[in-house]
Amino acid sequence: MKQRLVILVAAAVCAALWSATAFAGDQCLTCHEALDDAQSKLFKSDIHFRKGLSCVDCHGGNPKSEDMEAAMSKKAGFIGVPKGDEISKICASCHSEAETMRRFGSQMPSNQWENLQTSVHGKLSTTGKEHILQCTTCHTSHGIVSVKNPASPVYPLNVVKTCSKCHSNAAYMRSYNPSLPVDQLDKYLTSIHGMKNAKGDAHTAECASCHGSHDIRSAKDVKSKVYATSLPATCANCHSNARTMKAYKIPTDQFEKFSRSVHGVTLLQKNDVAAPACNDCHGNHGAAPPGVESVSKVCGTCHALNADLFSASPHKKAFDDRKLPECETCHGNHEIVAATDKLLGVSPDAVCSRCHHDNESAKGYAVARTMRQLIDSLESSEQRARTLVDDAEQKGMEISEAKFKLRDARQARLQSRTMVHSFDEEKFRDVVGKGIVMASMVSEEGHRSIDEYYFRRVGLGIATVVITILAISLYLFIKRIERSQHQQ
Amino acid sequence: MKPTLKKIYDWVNERVELDNLIEFMGKKYVPVHRHSVWYYFGGVSLFLFIIQVVTGILLLMYYKGSEDLAFESIQFLMSKVQFGWLIRSIHSWAANLFILTAMIHMFSVFFEKSYRKPREITWLTGMLMFFLAMGFGFSGYLLPWNELAFFATKVGTDIAGVLPLIGKPIMIFLRGGEEVTGATLSRFFGFHVAVFPGIFTVLLGVHLLLVQRQGMSEPMSFENTPAGERKTMPFFPNFLLRDLLLWLIVLNLLAILAVFFPWELGKKADAFAAAPAGIKPEWYFLFMFQSLKYIPGKLWIFDGEVLGILLFGVAGLLWMMVPFWDSKSARGEKNKFITYLGLFVVFYIIIFTIIGWIS
Repeated sequence: MKQRLVILVAAAVCAALWSATAFAGDQCLTCHEALDDAQSKLFKSDIHFRKGLSCVDCHGGNPKSEDMEAAMSKKAGFIGVPKGDEISKICASCHSEAETMRRFGSQMPSNQWENLQTSVHGKLSTTGKEHILQCTTCHTSHGIVSVKNPASPVYPLNVVKTCSKCHSNAAYMRSYNPSLPVDQLDKYLTSIHGMKNAKGDAHTAECASCHGSHDIRSAKDVKSKVYATSLPATCANCHSNARTMKAYKIPTDQFEKFSRSVHGVTLLQKNDVAAPACNDCHGNHGAAPPGVESVSKVCGTCHALNADLFSASPHKKAFDDRKLPECETCHGNHEIVAATDKLLGVSPDAVCSRCHHDNESAKGYAVARTMRQLIDSLESSEQRARTLVDDAEQKGMEISEAKFKLRDARQARLQSRTMVHSFDEEKFRDVVGKGIVMASMVSEEGHRSIDEYYFRRVGLGIATVVITILAISLYLFIKRIERSQHQQ
Repeated sequence: MKPTLKKIYDWVNERVELDNLIEFMGKKYVPVHRHSVWYYFGGVSLFLFIIQVVTGILLLMYYKGSEDLAFESIQFLMSKVQFGWLIRSIHSWAANLFILTAMIHMFSVFFEKSYRKPREITWLTGMLMFFLAMGFGFSGYLLPWNELAFFATKVGTDIAGVLPLIGKPIMIFLRGGEEVTGATLSRFFGFHVAVFPGIFTVLLGVHLLLVQRQGMSEPMSFENTPAGERKTMPFFPNFLLRDLLLWLIVLNLLAILAVFFPWELGKKADAFAAAPAGIKPEWYFLFMFQSLKYIPGKLWIFDGEVLGILLFGVAGLLWMMVPFWDSKSARGEKNKFITYLGLFVVFYIIIFTIIGWIS
């Protein structure tokens, strides 16, 4: 133990001697410290100071000259306080050089400046002379510490505050993007991520976790990490990571399930950004799972009619009483598949039969069975009508009007699928009835066209026979005339 | 003749001297030789024209010549009007057969050199009617206002528009503006049912009058055949009844075509939709359309397409003027050049039409 203490003291003495030797000739610090300059004091805690950099590495000048004017002369290469893009360029002179960074023992990437320039912050500022952000805007200047250091403004627990300096400033943001909300921080603090972050959990998502750091792009930019088609993968970075999620005890298969869902397939395979991504249901800055009672409202932002019908239906109260998550109970959440008529009814694979049994709640059971029968009969009527129309069309008949009406029958079937959510047999019967009537009309027209087709064939046969008899008679008549002419 | 019919005949005869007409027709003879069959194509063309007039008038009762209603009116005609489908199909098929038979008639006259003196005017009126028939086809094709017709008209009028100086004014005149719109439809409807039929009727009248006045053209070989050995048949009733027989066969063919291959209506024209792939004109324009495709974009200092159109124009004009430059045939001498030229044109049209059809 005694031996260890001796080694430590010796090391401290050596370090102090080295430091004193290294900066013994740095007149910048000597003078600025003597002037009680705050920046020079801050610089003592800066990671760059500890790596052996001095004032001249950023500001230029001659650190060995005791003459202030000579030390800070242009001749000595003094550039003073860098302004605008000069700041970032000075940082980049080392940070964009992988070799230089390696010399200082850093493993940091060397493309931050490049990324910053192509990011949304790399656009020109209102002055038109510089980028909106410089390195120092987020990292500060003389007291820069490692990102992993809790004192850093870009440490996970501080980054929210750093970003909000600008993003919560309505007056400032108006200069660049008046339509961008400035309440992200407020929302974030209400989110699960925000609440945990505020409690000191540096592992929960903060601004940079989703938006990136140097390469932040507008959410409308297809290259953005939060663009609709990229967002599920961005969320999955943490939420599909079993190690990260272990502490929070939540499942990690949401992305996998979502990718298989009707929403996921539309968004991720068909690239249809109208389909919802994670944030459309959970919120983005205020991300949290929707409450049991509000699931239908969340789904209803897109499926408005279904949600309204459900809210007015007897199921609303029944679900709330039983704490059942509305739409999710029948359709699932992350793995929602395209709804089919099979969901309805009392067969084992129908969702109604999960709660409605023949003996317990007979009314619901009977309604479910009737509704299924009705929609099945509409489907078969439509199918029959379609077959007839296709057959007539195949036969070359003009049947465009019937085809158009067939769309109405299909529309009625789609409407009936929506009307299911009212769970009202009468209303459902009305919609289905209209569809069946329409399908019957189409079938009738189909039959008529097919009959007409055969009538034309028969008519042609008769006409051909008549014309042929006439032609033969005429031919014989000509022959008779010519014979009598020859005889004359 | 039955007494009642005789009474009616006498009543009419007293007023319009039918006897003279029958006597005239009785004296008319049609030469009989190994190419006599070609004589019938003139009559068949006339029959098909009559069918066009009759079915055209019936179609007019339902057709509405406006951008908003044209397609729907044909749709209504085909699905709701009794035998409307039949009338439209016959009109469409007869139009194509009419151009085909008129073409055969024209080539038969050309190969027989029947255009020679004194039948130059008959040839000229025939040629003008043939061009008008193509005009009928081009204008009538647009009237259903369907997708194919819309884009074919666009392409067709575009081709006219590339001609130097007069091209653009012609295109604007045909379209009734810069683009194919409802104005084009109204214009084409006007041409199809009023302007063209009016001119055609006058030309047809002159053509038939001359045929009756001058009689059927005799083949050149007849001039070296002694008068006693020249075979003929009376125009009335022999030729006329044979003509009638052929008309009945054509009528039967038309009915079969109309029932088994009803003319499709397609989709309604949409100016904002993309042109359907492989858009082609009607078959009788196909050889010219295909030829223009093969002409390079630039030929020396001339625009290839313009040069092609001008060449077809000059060729058509020379063809029409053949009675005036074929002096050999006019003198009664054999002119093999004309025969070879005709053969070349026939094969050219057939080959390029087939290529255009299958490509």
